[in-house]
Amino acid sequence: MIAAKEITVTIDGKKCVGTQGQTILEIAHANGIMIPTLCYMKNLSPWGGCRMCIVEISGSPKVVPSCATPATDGTTVVAHNDRLRDLRKLTLELLFSERNHICPICPLNKGDCGLQHQGYVHGIDAIRYPYLYPSFPVDLTGKYLGFDHNRCILCTRCVRTCDEVEGVHTLDIGNRGVKNQIIVDLNTTFGKSTTCTNCGACVSACPTGALFDKNAAFHGSLAKCHEVHTTCTECAVGCGLVAYTKENRIVDVFGDNDSPVNHGHLCARGRYETWAIKRDRIEHPLVRKNGTLTPVSWDEALQVIRTAAGKFTAPQKGLLVSGKLPNEVVGTLTKLRSRVGQIGMYVAEHEASLCGEPSFAVDAFQRLNDADAIIVLGAEPSRLQGVVAARIRTAVRKRGAKLVILDARSTDLDAYADIVAPVVSVERAFWQRVATTLQDAKRPVLLYGPKALTPLGITAMDKLIQLFANGTGPAVIGLPTTTNALALAGAGITPVDDVADWLTSHSLQMVQIVVSDEVEGSAKILRDRAVAGLLLALPCVVVQAAYESRLTELAQVVLPTLVWSEKSGTITNFEGRQLALRPALTPRGEGRDDQRILESVFA
Amino acid sequence: MSEKPKVKVATVWLGGCAGCHMSFLDLDERLFDLFKLIELTVSPISDLKEIPVVDVGIVEGAVCNAENEHVLRTLRKQCKVLIALGDCAITGNVPALRNQKVLTEVLERGYIETESTHAGEVPNDASVPVLCNNVRPIQEFVKVDANIPGCPPDADAIWYALTELLAGRQPKWNPTNVRYD
Repeated sequence: MIAAKEITVTIDGKKCVGTQGQTILEIAHANGIMIPTLCYMKNLSPWGGCRMCIVEISGSPKVVPSCATPATDGTTVVAHNDRLRDLRKLTLELLFSERNHICPICPLNKGDCGLQHQGYVHGIDAIRYPYLYPSFPVDLTGKYLGFDHNRCILCTRCVRTCDEVEGVHTLDIGNRGVKNQIIVDLNTTFGKSTTCTNCGACVSACPTGALFDKNAAFHGSLAKCHEVHTTCTECAVGCGLVAYTKENRIVDVFGDNDSPVNHGHLCARGRYETWAIKRDRIEHPLVRKNGTLTPVSWDEALQVIRTAAGKFTAPQKGLLVSGKLPNEVVGTLTKLRSRVGQIGMYVAEHEASLCGEPSFAVDAFQRLNDADAIIVLGAEPSRLQGVVAARIRTAVRKRGAKLVILDARSTDLDAYADIVAPVVSVERAFWQRVATTLQDAKRPVLLYGPKALTPLGITAMDKLIQLFANGTGPAVIGLPTTTNALALAGAGITPVDDVADWLTSHSLQMVQIVVSDEVEGSAKILRDRAVAGLLLALPCVVVQAAYESRLTELAQVVLPTLVWSEKSGTITNFEGRQLALRPALTPRGEGRDDQRILESVFA
Repeated sequence: MSEKPKVKVATVWLGGCAGCHMSFLDLDERLFDLFKLIELTVSPISDLKEIPVVDVGIVEGAVCNAENEHVLRTLRKQCKVLIALGDCAITGNVPALRNQKVLTEVLERGYIETESTHAGEVPNDASVPVLCNNVRPIQEFVKVDANIPGCPPDADAIWYALTELLAGRQPKWNPTNVRYD
């Protein structure tokens, strides 16, 4: 690649170095000259709509928006003088006059609003124009987010984020002139939208209180919250999160812009489902007495387990852990090997094969970003790994990449695909069509999930790889559904996708299941209907879990554990990156760390 | 030490919640220093009715009805310097939320449809001031010489603005001393 030409621009008297193609704003910001902005957002295409970033260029009588003006070598730019300040102030006053910006009743009123901040910076105490006091709707039908159009400044940051980052283009602008309004789909509501993925990226992008998280609104100013940078443990992507907390509760969760994985973007699971959904938390150790789970002290619960454990030999004991646990659990499990006959990690269906020869897809995101053809085989990224789905959508929509989806279950990604089929097609004509679609691909990516590892799926994968036999072949990316399954399997923990077989073939008498905070954990274990009966027949079943579930109902002893926001440690994502979990909250109730519990149970 | 004549002040309360006057009282012990320099005449605190000729008029609240407008215009005539105190006077703020609806809808919602109202009716006695179709900030009716933003402005903002004005300077607002909420 040829290095971009270096250019020098003088901004406010300072010699600023940048590269050809950069905008004046980018060079100014990189050189510490802060030009005010409202509609500009890093990583989005420039809009030039708010006119806050206007600058003077020597030799031109006009002011230009620096966010949308490429810098040319040798120009002199003025970013701050009385004229520009007055013009910016005038723009702000017009923005304030246009809608109902009533700070006292806005959830962003205490220091989180970009418009309010610019008002303060420009010393606005009153505006020179009559207020229009329009009547715009408020859309509270969204699952997690609300939209008060009265606070909208039409910066289109939400529209561009929805289009360019999440790739669904749910939002756009409707109407004309002073009636301009952001619309959802073809002017419907969030509740009725057929394209919105609830990723919440529009809320993160909104500079005012127009778009807001319903569960966070009026729960405290983010500017005054405690900020903890941690990692999402909902799937194997490992997105960076910023948890905003106050008085030991989560106020809001946003993507971490500094994360090399997701660069600030999240899906609904990471952004909302981890905190905005109420779940019944287990706060105390529970022991079954006369058929009912009864809260007891830790000492009593541990005593009950130890008494039961004393009746069995090591080979009769089994320990089944969640693939969501952090890497640090490996050390604990290794120590327990002499005391527990069987140690396994339960995973999704067919996922044991995916973990069989653990291989991380290094630079998977780079490959997806460069891909000109993407094949999704036996995976459902839009349901399970939303951030990956967003990259696939943008690859198709922005770069014209080909998309072939081979999966039994239809998802919203199907709408963007050239070919959609279940993994059963064996006819020649079908494969001919796939071959034609992919024939010009230079940088193909094959993304497969656990469901690809059936006999049919493996045949399909072989056929797909053969299509590229003459070239370098596709970049093959394994996409596990279980957060840390690849790393834990790699460290020697046996993946178990048939729990019924695991229970019976080893003749286990006492089983401890560590679900931890995995919400789908209970469903994964009880997927095979025989498992519940097998567990009920065992003399001793202990469940370590943070939430009540069907599984805890089958246990003799339930031990409370921590949730993601209380945990520490590391996980390894599907690219092989080691990512840190940092506790944002102190544990609620008597919940304890999973490793600590395991060590005290089997001490 | 020769006593300087005190600056005569009148404060009025138009369409607002009285929070700005409460915030004025939040000056606490600084009120003693202030009252060495000013003399308060008409005010919701003093409850005098007729606005005399004063040096400074301070207005809390937006113009919501005919009486508000009358009081505002009288004060403007009687004072040299007029100060808008708080967001309602400056922007219309919360009272202006009703501008999104037609006045008849607002009255029906307030007096008839309210959940706790039984057989309500919209008051129409001649002694009740007529509501304006739209709530407007005071600057749309009279010239305003200084603004103290905030809902309510905190005591520090009020103290800053009043001491600046008493010293003959226009208050300058910046991120350290201004708030809209």
